Amino acid sequence: MRFVPAVVAAVAVALLPFALSGYHQGLASSVAIYFVAILGLNVLTGYTGQISIGHGAFMAIGGYVTAIMSQAHHTNLIATLPLSLAITFVCGVLVGIPALRLSGVYLALATFALAVSVPQLPLKFSKFLGGSNGLQTDHTVSHLWLYGVSWACAAIVFVLAWLLLRGRIGRAFRAVRDSEVAAASSGVSLPIYKTFAFGVSAAFAGVAGSLFVLATNGFAQPNEFGVLLSLKILIGAAVAGFGSLWGVLAGAAFVALLPEISGSVPLIGAAHGQDVVFGLVLILVMLALPNGFAGLVATVERGVKGAIKWRAAAS
Amino acid sequence: MGEKRRILAILAGAAVVAGIAVTAAGGAQRATPGLTATSIKIGGTFPLTGVASLYRTIPAAEKAYFDYVNDHGGVNGRKIDFDVLDDSYDPSKTVPLAQQLVEKDKVFAVVGSLGTAPGLATWGYLNRHKVPQVLLATGDSYWGFSKKRYPWTIGWQPDYPGEAKLYGRYIRTKFPNAKIGVLYQSDAYGKNYYAGLRVGLGSKRSNIVDAETYDATNPTVTQQILSLKGKGADVFVVFATPTPTITSLVTAAKVGWSPTATLINNVSANRLFLLAAAANGAKVDGVVSTSYLASSTTQASLPGMKLARQIIAQYAPPLQASFDRGDGNIVYGLGSAWTFVYALKHAGKNPTRASLMRSLHHLNAKDPFVYPGIRVRTSPRDNFPIEQEIFIRWSGGATGDWHPFGRLFGRVR
Amino acid sequence: MVELARRLGGAPKRKSRVSTGISLPVGLFLLAAAAFLVVGSAVSSIFAQQTVAGLAQGAIFGSLALALVLIYRATEVINFAQGEMAMATTYIAYQLTLWGLSYWLAFFLTLGLAFVLGVVVQLLVIRPVQHKSVLAVVIVTIGLFILIDGLVTWKWGADLKFMPAPFGNTVYHVGQVAFSRQDVGTLLVSILSVILLWLLFQFTKLGLAMRAAALRPAAASLVGVRVNWMLAIGWGLAAVLGAVAGLMTEPTVFLQPTMMQAILLYAFAAAVLGGLESPAGAVVGGLALGVFLNLVGQYVGFATAELRLPIAFAVLLVVLLLKPTGLFGRRQVRRV
Repeated sequence: MRFVPAVVAAVAVALLPFALSGYHQGLASSVAIYFVAILGLNVLTGYTGQISIGHGAFMAIGGYVTAIMSQAHHTNLIATLPLSLAITFVCGVLVGIPALRLSGVYLALATFALAVSVPQLPLKFSKFLGGSNGLQTDHTVSHLWLYGVSWACAAIVFVLAWLLLRGRIGRAFRAVRDSEVAAASSGVSLPIYKTFAFGVSAAFAGVAGSLFVLATNGFAQPNEFGVLLSLKILIGAAVAGFGSLWGVLAGAAFVALLPEISGSVPLIGAAHGQDVVFGLVLILVMLALPNGFAGLVATVERGVKGAIKWRAAAS
Repeated sequence: MGEKRRILAILAGAAVVAGIAVTAAGGAQRATPGLTATSIKIGGTFPLTGVASLYRTIPAAEKAYFDYVNDHGGVNGRKIDFDVLDDSYDPSKTVPLAQQLVEKDKVFAVVGSLGTAPGLATWGYLNRHKVPQVLLATGDSYWGFSKKRYPWTIGWQPDYPGEAKLYGRYIRTKFPNAKIGVLYQSDAYGKNYYAGLRVGLGSKRSNIVDAETYDATNPTVTQQILSLKGKGADVFVVFATPTPTITSLVTAAKVGWSPTATLINNVSANRLFLLAAAANGAKVDGVVSTSYLASSTTQASLPGMKLARQIIAQYAPPLQASFDRGDGNIVYGLGSAWTFVYALKHAGKNPTRASLMRSLHHLNAKDPFVYPGIRVRTSPRDNFPIEQEIFIRWSGGATGDWHPFGRLFGRVR
Repeated sequence: MVELARRLGGAPKRKSRVSTGISLPVGLFLLAAAAFLVVGSAVSSIFAQQTVAGLAQGAIFGSLALALVLIYRATEVINFAQGEMAMATTYIAYQLTLWGLSYWLAFFLTLGLAFVLGVVVQLLVIRPVQHKSVLAVVIVTIGLFILIDGLVTWKWGADLKFMPAPFGNTVYHVGQVAFSRQDVGTLLVSILSVILLWLLFQFTKLGLAMRAAALRPAAASLVGVRVNWMLAIGWGLAAVLGAVAGLMTEPTVFLQPTMMQAILLYAFAAAVLGGLESPAGAVVGGLALGVFLNLVGQYVGFATAELRLPIAFAVLLVVLLLKPTGLFGRRQVRRV
């Protein structure tokens, strides 16, 4: 029974493209792409309590892996996805090791440093990384292709996360989040689990980055991976809240679709109206749901259970 | 686990279906998109906000010119509907906007889109869909040199390396013993300019004593200017976008550096920018640049400029003040729009995307908004519409203006 | 304000110094760095000029970093909107000069308006989420960033605007070294505002109450400090400092909606360098970063423009890894 909503969602996702124009298929794929990235951040922050404002950096690395492999080695585009998964996993672990020394706001700023620094590197090493002209994959994909692959990736990544988190590793992660001291004293190796979580989280972001590049016509360019992208992932994670799949979906839809929708609000002209509406809605959502959609879901569930109990007691 | 597997199977199935659909979707559309008996829909992406928003008078002027044409019967009875979208100069925004133009708004052609990276981000997509990407507002040489691979793409203005070659030759002859200091933007734009300068300098390129770079993450260019000053440079060459150009001229004055000659690239040589620099203490007299546009101030009596003034007054009154003060971007927009209308007129009574391109590859016209004597000309083998430039020099200080000198230089590329 | 100060009459007389001390190695290191700058400036005129320009730039980083520190102490978050609030207040000053006010009148009026803006922002959108979720507060500041950007662009447009030069365009020469009045003025105004703030915190009841509210909220409210108001005033003062930073930035990069975005990033680095909770640390961090970046740009060929920001953040990372609480930070780390 627990899987019924998921099955319905999967069927809807599979049928949706046939009801959408190419343009809207593109928008729907970007929801899947943000879903993957936000799920990655959710694993890190929601399960081990480490924060990152630097996931745009891992997306950049993943995106450049895809562009380089396709341009220089004509690797099949789908084959570049596991490759960027692996490479960003290693990068995540490498970042996770020094991150062990930091926590809270200091960790947030250290990862933010990554978000601002990594996009500068292609500009510095423009011979290999294309500089401001960017890199281009050897061929580009259609909307439908992108839709299918990005939602397939979203499903795979979700199942991976689910398998990972429901077992021993997930319990260890949660123990780390709730109390590091208690976790360590009950035999959980903090350094190993924390860096592993960082690796997994970065790997998800890396796959999202590859898809992101495919969504921009196979064009990887430093500006695409600016600070704003990292902030968007963070926004998505906050709107999602922690611990709910539906929350992550809502967060992804929020950051992928709201700019599009707010652009067409006839408030004060498209160009500036978009920012005004987006900022305003974001603030209002956070005021209304400080714990994101997951918090809302939890409240509703509690309310429903409470009502059932109350009725059971009354009858 | 059973259900989970089923979900995966369904999703994998969706991916397979998607893959089949991709292979199936090959057929092209028949009717020409964006074209009706009475209208033609075109669009472009521009930085209306963000770091490059200084250029937003360009699409505004283009719109004004199209409105003027529409009020005079349109082109072959069709009114031009120009869709201006804001990409904030961010290529990741340009891509969905280009898709919006092609797939949602169904434009006939993408016209005048601004910026090199935004152009590079979309030219693969537009060429694959055989959508004309024409009169790109960027001076990189890609648009002119790539006709074989990207037959649906063409630029308009003279290219940057060619312009920089002129500065190199100028410095070589006028200041053979100069110590040259260069400040350039650390991206393809600045690097192409810098490379062109070195080619133009030829054997004198060893006179470059220092070349400094800056980028958007540098809060100021003070350190770079001080370094140039410290290396003893006496000819100052700036290859930058407008704001950093103004900043560097002001900063040079502020750190007490007065080089004997200063050259700036023509993108930043808008009169408004020099006036602003002068008002903030920069020494602007004698600054040299180049131009290919007519001037709305010093050449106000030209028929083209009289027409421009009338169009702006009637169709874009908010632009009038900056037009009268010499905003070259407005003239740029008018000139680019004029070329498009000219090409469209010559694309046949019932133009197609292909006939528009054919027309753009056979231009030979006198655009009333470009500098007198310069022809807008292309051929199947020459994909650069404007290839001539004239040197200009600033005089008159804080209330001064650009004045052309010397002859027209041709085949700038 | 006067009313508020009177109400605070019951604030504790006991001086609760929760100061942020400098450890011996850090102190020695800073002394050595200062000595190096003096010697270098005496030897080379270009070194001297880079140092002075770096100090002027660093003063701006420092002012904004100080604003970040004030907010961090009050709310325990990094305010992503700090730069955009500074930019918006600079536009307000611009509008005032357009209406005919003299520069300095507009300057001080803007500082007042900035204070109100900061307080209003805290009351309206920060306080409701403050005790619910740290992440929510951070996201609200990001939302403010985007909102302010959109509003300013809507009202004033995105093209470059210019204000009258506050210190004129005069250049002084001392030997081979040229100083602009602008640089000297920026440095003086920034340092003056830091000193005023320090005086406020150290010698007034309001300052004492604010420190108490930020550092020991429970105890402070027990002795009658209106903690919530103190936090709002903290936001107000931060906005004032931001306005100073914005107005001092305007003469070098001019007025545009993006003017503070790069500077905010350096201010982040400066604030962390100083320890995030230490006002003095933020200012020293800002000045150090300004000078360091200029000298690296002058003397390290590899460190081209693209690497300036990564270098600033590399410094930040090294400091964090060696001393996770920053140069001036206290040993105890608060849970966030």
